[in-house]
Amino acid sequence: MSAAAKARRQLSRRRAWRLALRYVAAVTLTVMFLFPIYWLFSISMKTPEEIFASPPVWYPASIQFDNFRALFRGGDAVTVWNSLFIASVSTALAMFLGTLCAYSLSRFKTGGDNLAIWIISQRMIPPIVIVFPLFLLYVWLGWVDTYHGMILLYTAFNLPYVIWMMRGYINDIPIELEESALVDGCTRWQVLVKVVFPMARTGLFATAVFTFVFAWNDFIFALVMTRSEVTTYPVQVTHYFGGQSNFWAKIAAMSVLGAAPVFVAVAFLQRYLVRGISMGAVKG
Amino acid sequence: MSILASDGGSRLSRFSDRNFKYLVVAPAILILLLFGIFPLIYTLLVSFQNINMMETDTSFSGLLQYRLLFSDARLWQSLGHTLLIAAIALPIELIAGLLMAILFLERLPGRQLFVSLLVLPTMIAPIVAGATWRLLFDNRFGPINQVLGWITGEPQAILWTIKPDYVYPAILIAEVWQWTPFMFLILLAAMSNVDSSLTEAAEIDGASPLRIFRRIVLPAIWPVMTIALLIRGLDLFRLFDVVWALTQGGPGTMTETISIYAYIQGFRQFETSYTAAIAFLVIIMLTVSVMFALKRMEFVR
Amino acid sequence: MKMLTAIISGVILAATATTAAAQSAADRAVEAAKQFAGSEISIVWEAGLQSLDPLNFSGPRWEELTGIKVKVIEVPTSEMFTKILQEHRAGTGAYDALNVIPSWMPDLVNAGALEVLDPYVDKYGYRSELDSILATYRDNQMKVDGKIYGFPDDGDLFILYYRKDLFEDATNMAEFKAKHGYDIGPPQTWEEYADIGQFFTDKFAPELYGAGQFRQPAYGIWLFEERFRNTGGRFFDPDTMRATINDSAGVATFEGMRNDNAFMPPGVESWGFVEALSSFLLGDIAMTISWPPFGRWAAGYGTDDDALSWVPKTTIAGKVGYALPPGGSPQLAAGFSLSVSSSSPNKEAAYLFIQWLNSEEISLQRVQLPYALRDPFRESHFTDPEYLSRWDDAPAYLQTLREGADAGLLDLSILQIDKYEEVLRQATSRLWAGEEVQTILDDAAAQWDALTDRIGVDKQRAAYSDWAAKPNAYPK
Repeated sequence: MSAAAKARRQLSRRRAWRLALRYVAAVTLTVMFLFPIYWLFSISMKTPEEIFASPPVWYPASIQFDNFRALFRGGDAVTVWNSLFIASVSTALAMFLGTLCAYSLSRFKTGGDNLAIWIISQRMIPPIVIVFPLFLLYVWLGWVDTYHGMILLYTAFNLPYVIWMMRGYINDIPIELEESALVDGCTRWQVLVKVVFPMARTGLFATAVFTFVFAWNDFIFALVMTRSEVTTYPVQVTHYFGGQSNFWAKIAAMSVLGAAPVFVAVAFLQRYLVRGISMGAVKG
Repeated sequence: MSILASDGGSRLSRFSDRNFKYLVVAPAILILLLFGIFPLIYTLLVSFQNINMMETDTSFSGLLQYRLLFSDARLWQSLGHTLLIAAIALPIELIAGLLMAILFLERLPGRQLFVSLLVLPTMIAPIVAGATWRLLFDNRFGPINQVLGWITGEPQAILWTIKPDYVYPAILIAEVWQWTPFMFLILLAAMSNVDSSLTEAAEIDGASPLRIFRRIVLPAIWPVMTIALLIRGLDLFRLFDVVWALTQGGPGTMTETISIYAYIQGFRQFETSYTAAIAFLVIIMLTVSVMFALKRMEFVR
Repeated sequence: MKMLTAIISGVILAATATTAAAQSAADRAVEAAKQFAGSEISIVWEAGLQSLDPLNFSGPRWEELTGIKVKVIEVPTSEMFTKILQEHRAGTGAYDALNVIPSWMPDLVNAGALEVLDPYVDKYGYRSELDSILATYRDNQMKVDGKIYGFPDDGDLFILYYRKDLFEDATNMAEFKAKHGYDIGPPQTWEEYADIGQFFTDKFAPELYGAGQFRQPAYGIWLFEERFRNTGGRFFDPDTMRATINDSAGVATFEGMRNDNAFMPPGVESWGFVEALSSFLLGDIAMTISWPPFGRWAAGYGTDDDALSWVPKTTIAGKVGYALPPGGSPQLAAGFSLSVSSSSPNKEAAYLFIQWLNSEEISLQRVQLPYALRDPFRESHFTDPEYLSRWDDAPAYLQTLREGADAGLLDLSILQIDKYEEVLRQATSRLWAGEEVQTILDDAAAQWDALTDRIGVDKQRAAYSDWAAKPNAYPK
């Protein structure tokens, strides 16, 4: 066999070896990271005896959905719907207003550095410290325990993130396209809709996913700002940590219900995620 | 750049076109103002008063609360705890995320599946993640002590959420588990954007992988990395849910973060004015640090 | 003729008067509430199982009878005080009726959050049914400064549950007598408790341990307050108002608690209500101390109900004995009273609802709901034939509860009690962390003193002496 052929065979064997190792590593990592989620899942399907068995049972003897049924019967599942509604609308609103704002910051440098820094500083403040004054504000406005109150709250909560990220994505879009569209006679608004939004599509998706997740998973604001009408699912989960009762089954089932929509969204959008995150927030 | 539409159009559309840049920022800024300014002003005012559980005395009390701040050991300890957690978690998340990104950079069968699965921990509500880990660490119902027992050959009864030696590891494990995928995703995306022609050329020239990384890859992903670190750092500073679910700041006040302390002072003890003073202290500290960090980042490109 | 009319009308008047008087408080409440038909009142209730009462039973019944809708606002116990005070501070008027833990009542009253109920009680003639509440609860969980602010609605206390089958087993009895020199029986003192616990653990571990209990810091206040007082401890020096929890009784209490963990299942320091319940029901521990629901569920009462599907099925039905905890003076831990928020826009309707809930007729049904966490609190609850027949040992169970209530010890209740309790919770967590007992207690006492100074020594002294004067403050 020629030396070149031998070298090629060695190279491909090394590559195959490396691939196998990487595969093993990938699988191990996935198992490690998913194990807690699996555990949560399994609790949601266990019987009380299995849940309280010691030493712990690793998989339920049979898959049964009683725990989920209990949630739907008791009306607790509506909190997942509340979360879904509030998170979706606030995400849409934040994405729309935030992207507009980001466009202005990117193309026109509106407000300069100071505005940009002020915007990102809004995200720094620990929610704990502003939640009570916000509660008072909401009482005055009559927005406590309302859908629109929570939607606006999460929109405001997420705007800095959206603006910051989208500014980076928009910075990456070559400006020539917009300029030629303007020359062709488009108004600024048309430029936005016809040129910018399509070009920033992957960035939009990526940002939207995390924006949705932040609104979906919030606990502190929901705890203080809702009473009974608009309870969201993280708050509902804490109801199950009672002083005289710990509904592990319900906690797990509710967590699964609460995590499911997000998992589904990620599954659909994950190809945008990887491509999209990349271009974001790079050039600051 | 400012080529305006010059033909036709109503006065309104010309107006909206000219003031375009202001009109588009207006809604967002207004919302941020509403939610940002009012709490700030309120907090500032209240911090100069003396409102607590029993008193609603709104008269001016000067720097009373701020003076209390400086003699409050528990406050500074909680800041210390918060910084400790951040200082340990952040590098781990960064390095682990980096390694994972490198692992998944090249082609791998089913890569998309792996990536979307690995992202799941970040998607769970932090309070749920904390509750899950509390169950995992539980001595009676959790598998971790069980597995440890298998490995070491004798039953382990480590009380992860109670014994001082184990509470920080428990918190860090839960926190790193949840947020390493976040870093991983961001770094993966950044690294896949690095011009492969550059790295290939370097490889042909005989440069070692480490050198390629340091000289080519790292500078390219530096901007993204620093933003991600900034975001994670800020989130770690606000850490509440996970610690609350695992230890409630215990044992004693050993794992109390600044958010937990503020929560207890504000919501349990109703020390409204004192909490406002803490809030202001935190805001100022964060503002200074972030401005410092941002200025440095803007210049390093 | 006039005479006849007079006599007849007199008789009719007398008849209606008697029926009116015989009309129960529940009925009176319903009648009076009908004028508010179509409105909605909100009530704050402990989240979880407790809320099933108004959600599944009392709320719908009330709506049926009066046309008033009941909105149940579920709040986790640890958040209840916060949310009530917060809403009051913000003046929202969002809450109409409230569930309040009695030890918080002085603080809430001082903050002006609770409505005085005396005028309503007189208006709707509820005094007599209030009097028939068990003396311990009636005299201690109803009034602040002589005025009525809440109706005691839950007979919470700690009971010692033990496996009488194990205690009555001949071999166990003989072995124990040989080892310790006295007959095994429900422990009267904490030393006996340790003897018995260690005995069973030595003999049967790891299948069975001598005892188990919830030990989490959240329960620390009750664990400490009960054992401390039964060991002769007093919380404060009544004259100087300095905390005396770090004296020898305090040290003995904390050290005893820690030493007892040795014969309890490993990891017991992290146990909550559920861990203790499940291990007892599954037969893993021989003794436990907890609230009344343990006894009902151990007997299998109500565990078939959907709401209790999360409770493991009992394996020890019929094998459970009931006794008072060591020392003989059980903690009247927590409890609930029904109150009306002072900023409610529907005070009258809210009042009528709680009168109805608390009345003889309705409360009897409520304490027997299988998923109920409400425990007997009226004389009639303990003598009700239906309750007595619920399971074989029900009479013994109710008897023990009754004795416990009489001998019970109140939760400490002084100004800003939540802050003092927070200190105890943290002391408990430090105890489990392994720190030195005297240090922990000295720190706790110092923190208590600092709190007292901040609140005002004279004010607190007055509050404490009021509380300490109650018959159930310290063991008799």
